[in-house]
Amino acid sequence: MKNRIWIIIFSVTVLVCTAVWIGLSFFPSPSKIVGIYQNGSLVEKVDLTAQTGERSIELNGDYGKNIISVTHGRIEMKSADCPDKLCVKHGELKSAGSPIVCLPNRIVIKFENQSGSADAEAGALL
Amino acid sequence: MKSLRIICAFLLLIAVFCSCSLDSKYSSEFFAMDTVMSVTACGKQSETAVNAIADEINRLDRLFSVQNKNSEIFRLNSEKQLNPSDETLELITRSIEISSMTDGAFDITTEPLSRIWGFYSGLENRVPSEKEIKAVLPSVGAEHIKIDGSTVSLDKSTSLDLGAIAKGYSSGRAAKILEENGISSALISLGGNVRAVGTKPDGSPWSVAVTDPDNSSEQIGVLSVKDRAVVTSGGYQRYFETNGKRYHHIIDAETGCPAQSGLKSVTIVSQDDTLADALSTAIFVMGLQKAETLYNDNNDLFGAVLITDSNEIYITENLKDSFSSYHSYEVIKA
Ligand SMILES: [Zn+2]
Repeated sequence: MKNRIWIIIFSVTVLVCTAVWIGLSFFPSPSKIVGIYQNGSLVEKVDLTAQTGERSIELNGDYGKNIISVTHGRIEMKSADCPDKLCVKHGELKSAGSPIVCLPNRIVIKFENQSGSADAEAGALL
Repeated sequence: MKSLRIICAFLLLIAVFCSCSLDSKYSSEFFAMDTVMSVTACGKQSETAVNAIADEINRLDRLFSVQNKNSEIFRLNSEKQLNPSDETLELITRSIEISSMTDGAFDITTEPLSRIWGFYSGLENRVPSEKEIKAVLPSVGAEHIKIDGSTVSLDKSTSLDLGAIAKGYSSGRAAKILEENGISSALISLGGNVRAVGTKPDGSPWSVAVTDPDNSSEQIGVLSVKDRAVVTSGGYQRYFETNGKRYHHIIDAETGCPAQSGLKSVTIVSQDDTLADALSTAIFVMGLQKAETLYNDNNDLFGAVLITDSNEIYITENLKDSFSSYHSYEVIKA
């Protein structure tokens, strides 16, 4: 009988450990703060993990309107009036090194972390 | 009891697995070649490899340093003749090749010029007179280096400085050491000379930002790269100011003065670390037009991101898919 209890305890521990490990490997960085910039200046900072439900942010530029969609853990350019639509084609913001950019309307959506958005920086002496 | 033991074993396995995926990343920062270097590697042998890299770079620094009185370059500069190590011989030979590839824009014989401009530690930065520069110029140029078998000789007033190529060579050596240790994911930065080894652990490319030459805390764009060296040369990296005028450290061997080619910053992307390092300086010296010609002849060897004095950005066509920026840029076609 005692053995069975131990087996259950161990099984639960194994399950928890596995779940944590899988969770860790899927979300290596807890930083989900995203900065939205237009013309080089910050429009808004959004914490993707704190977002519940869907929210739209509208920005206007020289080439019309851009609509950004924010849901829990996810941000993307939902629609844009810009001629190339590259920002919409980019899809979801996934990595720090690959921000969502709308060149015509000068919008950048990127992850904010302490040392810039990239893994390394060429030309910075440090 | 048997099932308990199986579960225990399973648990142990997971614990080992967990700790492995957390411990297999190893980083180190160290000072060498007058700059800060950092190496981050992911993989079983990461600690061994990173420590071996630090040792190797310190060893190369002791061979290549212009200032260290025991270095081979120092001895060659004072004795004008030497049978150097294979590495030093290889790097001098390569430097001469790149000199001729770039019509002398890359030049390791500018040591006497850097000296009169005071760009060595222990010297004071100053603007030399035209007379001083003219007196030094005749000893500058790769034609003043002779290689005979394994003997290197220099003309009487010629001296070498491998500063514009040594970091590139070192990052190539570092990448080799990582490969030998079976590491397929690492990031090396030798004072801003970046080498992306393989991909990130999740398989996506490394992102390497290009510093804004006007504001080092900002970036003008990001390159997504796998297995590439990314090296930037810019006047903003080291300079002094006198009477309101700025003098940077990249000397044009033709004029004897800091290069004024109309470029503010040059970033080279290449599989060849040594070439990337040398070309970033060479193109900074030669300017946009000659860079276009060089790219046309060698578009399989390198790509470039150029920023002009008037803040225009040019990228070579082969970087079109890896460069992203919220600034607009022109594409140089091959
Ligand atoms: Zn757009």
